[in-house]
Amino acid sequence: MQSRWDIGQPERPTINSETEKLKSELLTLNMGPQHPATHGVLRIEIWTDSEIVAHAIPHLGYLHRCMEKHAESLDFRGVIPFVDRLDYLASMNMEWTYAMAIEKMLGTEVPRRAELLRILTGELQRIASHLMAFGTYALDLGAFSPFLYAFDYREKILRLFEEVSGARLLYNYIWIGGLWNDWTDDQLVRVGQFCDEMEEEAKKYHELVSLNKIFVQRTANVGIMTVQDCLDFGASGPVLRGAGMKWDLRKNAPYSLYNEFDFDVPVGTGEMGQVGDCWNRYIVRMKEVGESIKIIRQVLEKLEPGPVMGKVPKVMKLPAGEVYVRAECPRGELAFHLVAKADEKTPYRLKVKSPCFTHTSMLPRVAPGQMIADFVATVGSIDIVLGEVDR
Amino acid sequence: MHKELADLINRHVSGAQAVAFIAADSKSDSSITVEASHIYKVVEFLKTNKEISFNSLHVISGVDYLEHMEVCYMLTNYNPEAVRDLILKVKLTDRVSPSVDSIVKLFAAANFQEREVYDMFGIKFNNHPDMRRILCPDDWEGFPLRKDYVAQKVYNGMNVYPDSKMNMEDREFIVRQDMIKKAQESKAQ
Amino acid sequence: MSTQVHSESSFKQYFADLWNGISTTAKGMWITFRYVWAVKPVSIEYPEIREVLPERARMRLFNDTQNCISCTQCAMACPVDCIYIASEKLPEGTEIKKTSNGQAIRLKLNQFTIDTALCCYCGLCTTVCPTECLTHSHDYEFSAYTIDQMKYDYLAPDIVAWRDRIVKS
Repeated sequence: MQSRWDIGQPERPTINSETEKLKSELLTLNMGPQHPATHGVLRIEIWTDSEIVAHAIPHLGYLHRCMEKHAESLDFRGVIPFVDRLDYLASMNMEWTYAMAIEKMLGTEVPRRAELLRILTGELQRIASHLMAFGTYALDLGAFSPFLYAFDYREKILRLFEEVSGARLLYNYIWIGGLWNDWTDDQLVRVGQFCDEMEEEAKKYHELVSLNKIFVQRTANVGIMTVQDCLDFGASGPVLRGAGMKWDLRKNAPYSLYNEFDFDVPVGTGEMGQVGDCWNRYIVRMKEVGESIKIIRQVLEKLEPGPVMGKVPKVMKLPAGEVYVRAECPRGELAFHLVAKADEKTPYRLKVKSPCFTHTSMLPRVAPGQMIADFVATVGSIDIVLGEVDR
Repeated sequence: MHKELADLINRHVSGAQAVAFIAADSKSDSSITVEASHIYKVVEFLKTNKEISFNSLHVISGVDYLEHMEVCYMLTNYNPEAVRDLILKVKLTDRVSPSVDSIVKLFAAANFQEREVYDMFGIKFNNHPDMRRILCPDDWEGFPLRKDYVAQKVYNGMNVYPDSKMNMEDREFIVRQDMIKKAQESKAQ
Repeated sequence: MSTQVHSESSFKQYFADLWNGISTTAKGMWITFRYVWAVKPVSIEYPEIREVLPERARMRLFNDTQNCISCTQCAMACPVDCIYIASEKLPEGTEIKKTSNGQAIRLKLNQFTIDTALCCYCGLCTTVCPTECLTHSHDYEFSAYTIDQMKYDYLAPDIVAWRDRIVKS
């Protein structure tokens, strides 16, 4: 069988003079598939020169579930449970983007209350996802307690979602044309209370982790991705914003009702370390939690009673054509390329543009020259979910 | 926008034969189809031209239409003033060994994306530095997202669909299909 | 750990770093220490204490076969094909029963099996059910020794007896 080494070794990187003295043979190290720091079943083959990574090759496909092939044999409603399982930490945003793609082709008008509630759930999900990213990132770097605090508050969001949709993780809540269920007033009041609590809690996280000397030492100036790198690789979301580019689809190309809302787009400013490093990517996420809370408060003010389900045909058939719909998800820009044929009940082709897949492809670019421990910090900071990478 | 862009491509890249497909209504997206042999030059032009400057490649997607295959390049510009998407297509009629020029030199994003298209559709990308499968195992046979794909029965000595595990009787759903047939017949009567 | 650790640091910088390290760590320790008494436990001791599930919680599926009209809509909607239904026409002359919401039962249900090992708990089948006989119950403790035991035949007597517990009429 052809060995991995036959694909052509990269040139040996010259790191600095000190390591050149310690010149030795490259050692192959397998990180994963069961490595806790890879957040799933990602295997990265690392060629190390003593403690320094010379080259990293991601091997994907351990969680490949043929979702795109499955979707071709399911009706348009039946795809939603599968779309949920792409990024299982941000299912609401996945469903929402998929629903947007179908609605664009159907020409369905979604009721105003449903749109507002979609924004509410989407932003709550963004907070939950960023809390998860925060907790596990701290865990990667050796701090255990932030993980527990983050999960405590994530749990409150999941409890709300469970009450409103019936499931804790894979909701099947945002349907084509609207929402499955309406939120009750009592639940909305609890969302308001949660926002107040979360704001206090976020300050605590900031004190506990963001400014901690050990954490800053581990993350500042590590894994630098420049804006040019990000554009070259098509990166988006916190990775692009952490590199200092003010780019957010909710602001630059507003979909749904986002143009009615007042919020900022946090970018990495280089407060610690330099722009584009792990610390800046991390702090962008933490600031986004605050922005999401802002949006949720505005939604709560704007909400008026009304229907939550638009008019959709019972047997769904799309007109022939194709759409490419993008949306801003917690991890970056998710997009669906949907090709439909007339009078077919199933999608002809459903291609998922997953942000995590793009970000994983950036690892070989940033890895060379890093310490192995820094590489763990880099992988954690781009916050990948393997369900979305492998689909 | 697409029509002018197609004209511009034709003027600057000779032989590109760009054809704009304009969608009839807002329910569908417009696209531009170019000659497969000129894709590298077209993308290079779209990237380097200062007025258009599609500075990022989002995704490369393949579609199998049975009579031909398409590779769709989703280009985008990260420009806050004018956000634009472009679906750029090439058509490949050869099903046995289809191939296109790789654009890895222009966009590093194309590296993994082209590998995925190769994995799923069997479209080879010329001059790609590392043309391997990415999601399926290296020794997998067939290209899963082609419409005429049949899954291999045995892989590395393992049975891919063991009858004992899958409960084929239920899977094929003889019961349900009979039901549907009967219901349709009774309706027709 | 970064490559810039070795950058030249002055005497003053050294002590500033030291102070920064100690103070931020102490701050973090204080936040954690507060949890000893100021925060109530958030976890519950599961087998003894059970959480009350919300009304819409989607747990194991239950079919009330007395109200089922064998329309197979649930089986059609299921994205993973885990519902197996078999039915036949009632022999002529039999009295046609009615469901609780007044629909006539014209078919005799012979088999209604759900493979809960395959089920993905998406809830699509319950939304299409015209008589609302197929529902998600709140029962989530149904682990089994073999995968065959995960198949529930809702016409079996032991599961029909289960109806009394679930269906309140």
